[in-house]
Amino acid sequence: MTLLRSILVVLLLAAVPSMAQEEAFRQAGAAYDNGHFAEAVLLYQQLLDQGIDNPELHFNLGNACFKDGELPQAILHYRRAWYKTPRDPDIQANLRFALHAAGAVEPSSGITGRVLSSLSREEWVLLAGAAYVLVSLLLLAACFLRPARRTLLKWTLPPLALLAISAAGFHAWRQLVRQPECVVFKTGATALFGPMEGATAHFQLPLGALVRQRETDPKGWTEVEYDGKRGWLKDDLFERVSP
Amino acid sequence: MRGFNPVLMVTLGCLLAASAFAADVQMTIDRQLISLLDRAVLKIEFIETQGDAVDIPEIDGLEFHYQGQSSETRIVNFKSSSKTVHTYVVTPTKVGDYTIGPVLCKFKGGQKEVSTQLRVIKPADDPEAQQLTSIMYSRISTDRDAPFVHEPFGLELKVYLRDGVQIDGNFGIRGGLPESGLDGELQWQVAGRARAEISGAIFNVYTLRSTAKALTAGTFTFQPQVQLNIVIPRQNRRSFGFDDPFFGDLFGRQETRPMVLDCNRLDIAVRPVPLAGRPDSFTGGVGSFDFQVDVGPSRVRVGEPVTVKMRIYGEGNLEKIMPPSIDDGLDFKLYDVRTVPSQNPDEVRFEQVVIPKSDAVTNLPPVTFSYFNTLTADFRTITRGPFPLAVEPGPQLAAQVIATVPSTIPQATQILGHDIVYLKPPPKRWILRGDAAWHERQAYRLLLALPALLLAVGAGLARRRSRLAGDAALARRQQAPRAARRHLQRAEQAVRNGDAAVFYEAAWAALADYFGHRLNLPPGEVSLQAVLARVPDGKEAIASLFETVEQRRYGVRADAGASEMNALLRQLADTLRRCERMKL
Repeated sequence: MTLLRSILVVLLLAAVPSMAQEEAFRQAGAAYDNGHFAEAVLLYQQLLDQGIDNPELHFNLGNACFKDGELPQAILHYRRAWYKTPRDPDIQANLRFALHAAGAVEPSSGITGRVLSSLSREEWVLLAGAAYVLVSLLLLAACFLRPARRTLLKWTLPPLALLAISAAGFHAWRQLVRQPECVVFKTGATALFGPMEGATAHFQLPLGALVRQRETDPKGWTEVEYDGKRGWLKDDLFERVSP
Repeated sequence: MRGFNPVLMVTLGCLLAASAFAADVQMTIDRQLISLLDRAVLKIEFIETQGDAVDIPEIDGLEFHYQGQSSETRIVNFKSSSKTVHTYVVTPTKVGDYTIGPVLCKFKGGQKEVSTQLRVIKPADDPEAQQLTSIMYSRISTDRDAPFVHEPFGLELKVYLRDGVQIDGNFGIRGGLPESGLDGELQWQVAGRARAEISGAIFNVYTLRSTAKALTAGTFTFQPQVQLNIVIPRQNRRSFGFDDPFFGDLFGRQETRPMVLDCNRLDIAVRPVPLAGRPDSFTGGVGSFDFQVDVGPSRVRVGEPVTVKMRIYGEGNLEKIMPPSIDDGLDFKLYDVRTVPSQNPDEVRFEQVVIPKSDAVTNLPPVTFSYFNTLTADFRTITRGPFPLAVEPGPQLAAQVIATVPSTIPQATQILGHDIVYLKPPPKRWILRGDAAWHERQAYRLLLALPALLLAVGAGLARRRSRLAGDAALARRQQAPRAARRHLQRAEQAVRNGDAAVFYEAAWAALADYFGHRLNLPPGEVSLQAVLARVPDGKEAIASLFETVEQRRYGVRADAGASEMNALLRQLADTLRRCERMKL
């Protein structure tokens, strides 16, 4: 009985912080419902500061920021939520909505890019693991079942292909770390042809535009890609979105 | 001089002299009688020598165009001949008798003056024409004498061709246009073809039109050259060789002749948009425009976006017009204006999202567009609004926002949705940012190694099994210690039971099975001789064992004590262990 009681106490203590977080989450939702968007932003932000990194939190914070008129922050959090659950239609819808409201172009990618971003990084890892286990088991069976060896080896091809695709998907997500996405946080951001003050202006970026970092310059400049064009921006004009 | 052969000297001298005399220069023309619309091919041939192209002196009524150099070498009856040819096309512009040259041609070993004759006559169907410019010419004109900067003005280029002159319908406009100050390159379109009577002669008149826009004030000069291809019947007496720079059609019935027509000079004085009277709301529009503004939705809550759609349409520099600005005061949060792609080339559309900050807002202030009217040469201002807005406090429900697709996608306005999707419920599990993802944990990585390990072990086992199946000697070698161990255990049991007969049988079986498997011997062929023949050392011990066990098997002493059996068992086990370590 003593052991059972101890286990119950430990479980209860472990549940206390999560209950507090859930309470804060609900309070933020209530503030949002009452039209107190700034307060909702604050409450969601507090949860974020506690280290919570759920896509639901980023999504709701994005909503609160959007309603509070802070489009760049909204886009930033929608995108962060999208990284974790890229097939969530709500996140996709709100991200598109916010981007269009900001007058920004949606990040475009070809068919390959769309396929590779249809699963999150964790999902690609899971798929790759499953394919790897399947390939191993089939090869193991092929070692011992000599008569069926040819058939078993043929069966390893689909999981091998899946493994290759998963590796490509994982690599695509890894690229987001090396060449991160950023959100333009200041109005009048103009991308220049070169990384220096006074360089020729190339194109303008609307507030909230999602850009992809390509090169960096030690003097505080970053080459970004937006809508198929590349130009240099000062580092203080945008904020990193990618993990 | 004794060593020289006089015959050889004479032959060599003759050859040198002959080669010196063989070098020559000739000027030839493929036809010496051509019509005004025709052209001739002139060649300067350096025979048995080489020489550079020469400048043909200018002749009023003829134009010369150098086409290039070619070389020719022939070997006939072991005798070689070569020549270098420079080709020129002669284009007549007037009728008359002409002498081309004399031209001084320098070559290796000498120089020579050459000349030829050419007669140009009137075209057969146009007895009046004396020169080319009376048969074909072009004229350029404009619809605006003094346009303003950024104001589009039309250019019209008319090409006059005397009836009977045929062309292939392609026109090229080259040179004669301002090098800078114009907005983009001029795009000429053939606007039509008509027949007209000019000075009693019938002309076919082709009209080409283009629109120009000046970016700066000043005088712009237009004097383009029109290039066209005249189609003329092929002359039967002419031959078409590869050295001819022009070729006829596939069947050789006709040929095209490129012709460049000069044009009159057109000066256009472009006026600047005046600074005086320029309103603050002027955004660069020059032309004649109208302005339309739509605002929606008109009923929103605080924080909800309102879209202001502006449309400017008319004639003028639409693509240069900057969007009119909205005076927001402090009541609205304004987002960047974006240009909306439009299918209509005579309009430009802008959209701007504004968000009312408080419920005190009752309307969106008027939007003003000013432009310079080129027809009346003054500034015009068009004001639309104010636009009533009903702004309510509190949370919004379904604010309708019309969003558009920006960028280069040629798409009309698109309704994306009415509002953002509502909040998500609390998650079932809270994820902490510092937590390592499951796939980054050590346990998962170790787990990942398991299938590979299993596969490696399985592959090893399968390989071993395969080897044993294919190698009977190896398979028996593997069985040897196991078989010996089994019999030794039986012998131990016999010692414990005091059964000497079973013990010696078991000892023999251990020896026979071990060496039978180890040496891959058939069951009946295990003998001391066979074993000793293969064992490298320890032969004495093996022989002693074999003999002892043999003797005891067939002459079993009932009184064989346990100590003797134990000693023999130990000796047997030791010997077999030593043999196991031997390489047989």
